[in-house]
Amino acid sequence: MNADQILAEIREANLSYLMLSQTLIRADRDQALFRLGVSEETANLIGALTPAQMMKIAAGNTLLCRMRSDDDVVWGLLTSHGKSSANDSVSRLHASILMAGRHQEAA
Amino acid sequence: MRAKSILTEARQIETAVELIHLGARLQVLESETDLSYERLLRLYKEVAGKSPSKGQLPFSTDWFMTWQPNIHASLFLNIHEYLNKVAELEEIDTVIKAYKLYLEQVSAQGLEPQLSVTRAWRLVKFIDNGMLTMTACSKCGGHFVTHPHEIARHYVCGLCNPPARAGKGRNAGAIRVSDKIEAGLVPH
Repeated sequence: MNADQILAEIREANLSYLMLSQTLIRADRDQALFRLGVSEETANLIGALTPAQMMKIAAGNTLLCRMRSDDDVVWGLLTSHGKSSANDSVSRLHASILMAGRHQEAA
Repeated sequence: MRAKSILTEARQIETAVELIHLGARLQVLESETDLSYERLLRLYKEVAGKSPSKGQLPFSTDWFMTWQPNIHASLFLNIHEYLNKVAELEEIDTVIKAYKLYLEQVSAQGLEPQLSVTRAWRLVKFIDNGMLTMTACSKCGGHFVTHPHEIARHYVCGLCNPPARAGKGRNAGAIRVSDKIEAGLVPH
């Protein structure tokens, strides 16, 4: 992938992410706060973006979204390949509980 | 005396309908709205197309302590606390929205929801009046439903330390951790 392709893909991902965020926020703002992991103020700002603003924000060489968890415990649970399927669902539940418990990220 | 507002009543009916759709028992509606028993009964029949089930609500905290229910209850309560922190909602709306997110999460993972909305509502009440609380697991750091005064330093959650025969038994379609598969005795 050359540099132009990378920039185009980043813009694409940013734009989809912003549009999805806005849809979620407009559908149910409170649930969107949980789904997106953003604060109420940020949600208000994203919800009010115009398409032109979104295009502008999406262009750039960095992604607007980041990995939801910096925690290797959660990643370990999410990526437990090769274990039995029964165990897999337990791990995913475990990861869900840990991720749902992180409200400081939205503060 | 407080004059009855039609707008408030409309909002309460909406809440009640939502709860009935989620399968709540009549006692939940009675406690969360100011609507009369007769009106709630009629509403229930209209929405659900059947009479509400009778009998007392499950009142014990023990159910939340068994292995699988504890996992489901903890997931719901974590979502509930999250919404409680970030969104300004009426108490019952927080329960409804958190419960819907819980249902989504569980069905996305191909599991059967073990927690009914009535139990979820009950759980929040138990937390409010201090009969149950959340304790952080000393291994994974996740917050789990426990009895109050659990010794936090030594507490290990049911997922970090599952009981030997966890998930076995009558509950079909649930998370089943087969110890045979774990031990590699049976191919999967």
